[in-house]
Amino acid sequence: MRPILLSGHERSLNQIKFNREGDLLFSVSKDNIVNAWFSHNGERLGTYEGHNGTVWSVDVDATSTLLITGSADNQMRLWEVSSGKCLFVWEFNTAAKRVAFSEDSTQVLVVTEARMGYRGAVQVFRINRDPDTWTEQSKQPTRTITFSGPKATVAAFAPLDQYIVTGHENGKVALYYHDEKDPETGIDAELEEKSVDAHGGEVITDLQMSSDRTYFVTSGKDKSAKLIDTKTLQIIKTYATETPLNSASIHPTKPYIIVGGGQEAMNVTTTSARQGRFETRFWHKVFEEECARLPGHFGPINTIAIHPAGKAYASGGEDGYVRVNWFDPGFFNSKLYGPDLELSLEDQ
Amino acid sequence: MSPVQAPPANDPTKSSMNWADDVDDEDAPRIEERDEGNGIKVIIEYRTNAEGKKVKITRRIKRTLIKTKVNHEVAERKGWVKFGQEKGKPTGPHSATTTVGENVLLKMSAGNKKAEPEVDEMDKVRKQLADKKIQCRLCKGDHFTTKCPYKDTLEAIPGAGGAETPEGGDGTLTPAAMDLSNPAVGASAGGSGGKYVPPSMRAGAKGAGEKMGGGPGGGSASRDDLPTLRVTNLSEDADDDDLRELFSRYGRVIRVYVGRDRETGICKGYAFVSFESREDADRARQKVDGKGYDNLILSCQWSLPRGERPA
Repeated sequence: MRPILLSGHERSLNQIKFNREGDLLFSVSKDNIVNAWFSHNGERLGTYEGHNGTVWSVDVDATSTLLITGSADNQMRLWEVSSGKCLFVWEFNTAAKRVAFSEDSTQVLVVTEARMGYRGAVQVFRINRDPDTWTEQSKQPTRTITFSGPKATVAAFAPLDQYIVTGHENGKVALYYHDEKDPETGIDAELEEKSVDAHGGEVITDLQMSSDRTYFVTSGKDKSAKLIDTKTLQIIKTYATETPLNSASIHPTKPYIIVGGGQEAMNVTTTSARQGRFETRFWHKVFEEECARLPGHFGPINTIAIHPAGKAYASGGEDGYVRVNWFDPGFFNSKLYGPDLELSLEDQ
Repeated sequence: MSPVQAPPANDPTKSSMNWADDVDDEDAPRIEERDEGNGIKVIIEYRTNAEGKKVKITRRIKRTLIKTKVNHEVAERKGWVKFGQEKGKPTGPHSATTTVGENVLLKMSAGNKKAEPEVDEMDKVRKQLADKKIQCRLCKGDHFTTKCPYKDTLEAIPGAGGAETPEGGDGTLTPAAMDLSNPAVGASAGGSGGKYVPPSMRAGAKGAGEKMGGGPGGGSASRDDLPTLRVTNLSEDADDDDLRELFSRYGRVIRVYVGRDRETGICKGYAFVSFESREDADRARQKVDGKGYDNLILSCQWSLPRGERPA
């Protein structure tokens, strides 16, 4: 496996994301550029310029026409994927830490930071997808969930956009009912349907849905990743590593969870690369066992994304590089636990 | 590919150029390209090598076109015009932003590769001290001995410990002394008549001090109690991890010790492997003894405790 190294960023990566077909890869970092890449050869398609601060989060819609980014300059921007044009800018009181499209790409949620007396919140916006008028978007959120307690760090839409899942700085994962027709605005304590303390008080660093969104994986600074059922918030599996995790992702066809992390970035200079444990790790989804490690980054891994068809995965690190790894045929043929314990195709 | 570069030796514009460029030009390799058909291309390169000799390098490159079917939308996206910082750049990856990394091997294997959980030394000490209470050696109250309100009255009584305790007559408690499992404190608390007993002679002595000496009388009990195998005829390259990997398939390995040369640090050809259970160790012994490993045939026997070992 020869990884493709993408060096379009000058600072550490914050998030990377494949589009639905997996041919494009979007990356955002602490410099204020958003990059779009062709995943098959690492060619850069272009850059989206306009943000004036760290870009924390990126998401692309299902048809790869619109891109949404959230930044530390208190803005959320909507872009046209094909041309790099900025279509609309939303302004907030604090930084936009996480953005995500709904499953049908007609809504966008944004997690805003709790700072300067403002409370953390999740806001949902309706997206006008008509190419003639898409430079005019509603500045008014359809709903706002304000967090009276610990702020949210990550959030995503649950299947059919019926729920919103949030991950919090105290390790809590919460579920909110979301009705597009009758969106409820209020504080979290009133609206929260269920919650679970998944990461024992430590901050949740990433939350990624499975391909059908019926379960998701969270990673936390408590050195573990958890597989959680979306409907019941039951913790199905726990993957306990020996290093703080920054990202976790579910492989869509093989039973693996890919996690990445490493020692805190501020301590990196005091340890060797080996000690820092900056490897991506492959965990078996069902048996909760580590199956492989792949070194490569010179610093902690901040974000991991898997090709929607499972053919490749990409990792973005504190070292400013994105590494795209296309899996060898051996990866798909391997039957680690013998043929009997291999999941049949329809179960994967 | 760049076409054949003929060095323009008697070019009039050349003479006005920098001498450094001139040298570069002479060194520039001459490249010939030929198409053999069938997608095979031959590149012949003549150059002077480091020793000043002329060498001819022939490379035959076969290009095969691999066709993949992609979604219509994907195909359409491949034709998109570049924008932003890439505006106007030619198609294909640019070396400034895209490079190919070194080959990495993704070896999937069953079983947890997790080594024994690594414990932070500070955490260990903290945990050890967490459930230890400060205890006065005189009145057994929860304060330091120096702070004991009965210090003056009790110190005179011989049975109560006092001045004869091994931790020194001044009665202060060092952190080590606070650790009750430490034999020094244990012995004095156990009331051994107030006489000093060297740590190695104490009953049930098992402390940090023992590990160094490992005398026959006490100590090193935990080490010899474990079922341990002695592996010999090891290769020089073998290290702890190799052995752990080799033996962990038979059971839980507690400890691996590889005999190393003191100066060079390379393996001296033997190692000790301690297992958690005797059955696992026995199975491993039977399986590994006589097994080929790194071109050598391993020998694996029970490790004899120090006392029974032939000198």
